[in-house]
Amino acid sequence: MTAGEGNELSRQRRWRRVGALVLWSVTSLVVFIAAWQAVIAIFHPAPYVIPTPHDTYFAVTQNWSSIWPLAVGTFRETLYGFAAGAALGFFLAVAMYKVRIFRSLSYPFIIASQAIPIIAIAPILVLVIGFNIYPTIIIVAWIVFFPVTINTLDGFLNLDADLLNLTRVLGARRWRRFWFVELPGAVTPLFSGLKIGAAYAVTGAIIGEQADSSGSSLFQYQFAANNSSRTDLVYGLTIVMMAIGLLWFVLIVGLDHLATPWKHRPTSRRWRDRGKTASTPSLQNE
Amino acid sequence: MGVSTSTVLRINGVRKTFANNVALAETSLELTAGSFTSLVGPSGCGKSTLFNVISGLLRPDTGSVVLGDRDITNSTGHVGYMLQKDLLVPWRTVLGNITLAAALTRKVTAQDRREAEENARRYGLGEFLHHYPGALSGGMRQRVALMRTLATNQSLLLLDEPFGALDSQTRLDMQQWLLQIWADLKKTVIFVTHDVDEAIFLSDRVVVMSPRPGRVVADIVVDLPRPRTLETLTDPAFVDFKREVLRLLHRSST
Repeated sequence: MTAGEGNELSRQRRWRRVGALVLWSVTSLVVFIAAWQAVIAIFHPAPYVIPTPHDTYFAVTQNWSSIWPLAVGTFRETLYGFAAGAALGFFLAVAMYKVRIFRSLSYPFIIASQAIPIIAIAPILVLVIGFNIYPTIIIVAWIVFFPVTINTLDGFLNLDADLLNLTRVLGARRWRRFWFVELPGAVTPLFSGLKIGAAYAVTGAIIGEQADSSGSSLFQYQFAANNSSRTDLVYGLTIVMMAIGLLWFVLIVGLDHLATPWKHRPTSRRWRDRGKTASTPSLQNE
Repeated sequence: MGVSTSTVLRINGVRKTFANNVALAETSLELTAGSFTSLVGPSGCGKSTLFNVISGLLRPDTGSVVLGDRDITNSTGHVGYMLQKDLLVPWRTVLGNITLAAALTRKVTAQDRREAEENARRYGLGEFLHHYPGALSGGMRQRVALMRTLATNQSLLLLDEPFGALDSQTRLDMQQWLLQIWADLKKTVIFVTHDVDEAIFLSDRVVVMSPRPGRVVADIVVDLPRPRTLETLTDPAFVDFKREVLRLLHRSST
């Protein structure tokens, strides 16, 4: 086998995998809508209890000009909150890994932070900080940082002890070892934490929107729709919120893919790996 | 052999105990520059303990390790070290792994990369320079691990069962490949193995160890001619050495 063939083979395999993924996603969506339709056909619920998929779809499209800017607003809240939470979660994990005393001291507080019912303190946050986007950002960050910290720290603590010993034998410097061995070694659990955080980020944003009752937001719009018995619109808005969460999840999966090329490619295609060496492009052995 | 040959490594009365368990009884060894020495013995005979002391990962209870004229007891960064686990980092390419030691201590220079590439090409890794370790076979991975060890430019290499996980065919190829590199680069090698054939085939000297407590029971000079080839393995003199080592191993384990 030459290197070139290996590349070609894996590229084919990769596209086949992406294709399969899309196919299964579409299939599960079709099955879901069919089941929804079936429930209506069998039990004949009132439309204000369970609207049809058809009504739900049109409730969203007909109000799209109102929904779109609110959805963008919710997305922005998750963006800022997620970025803040991910950064906080990552740096906490690094500090807890590197400073053992800090790890012991902070662990109980980190666990306790998640035992606080966030719905209960959201109104307090709004009172203290004000009727603006910041309470929502804090809530999202509060939810996101936790899985990032816990997973990343586990990743650091489970690094191969023999590998760390080897870096010592090689005379590694502390931060160079962190950058070239410890951090890349924990990148997979880091992304696991980010994926969990991404899935929860929208929930946090909606909790924030609920507490900020004066703002115009996706939640307040849904609340109004509920009050006027527009169940189809309530369902549709729920799906919009879910879509934002899904979008985040897909973004993180994509980022994970880009950050870990060694998991799905036989060779590197970074310019630094390919360009700087004076190698001939020939793959034959001389 | 005589006093005139230059000693590169001197292990003076090194002893190591773990929780009242003597892992390594007082041991002294001297290695001459450019020699190839194997340590053989059953599990628990203190081979790995001795390696960890030489590499500076473990602090001995007594004794010292002197490399050249420098006392390196309890200090790391003076020897090349390789284990049965290749310990390649999956996120760096073959070249990236070979230059890892440089990356961990300072900035990787164009010179480092050029040397890494030349060595990789010369010793059969030319096709795989930009491959990730995940795409390589076990034998190829061990070659990369040895290249990484060589790239540290240390004169003394500690190889702890580097071919232990390979199938016998690949292992034989790797042994000949290692001998070629050793002859080219004139390194001093200490090689740990369970495999008596491997120890005799590779070495100038076979040190037999026994467990509980780990200690040296015999030190045999293997004066088979070099270069050694497949025929060496069936040479009557080779078989005599093998009989002798097996006898020592068995006596010491009963």
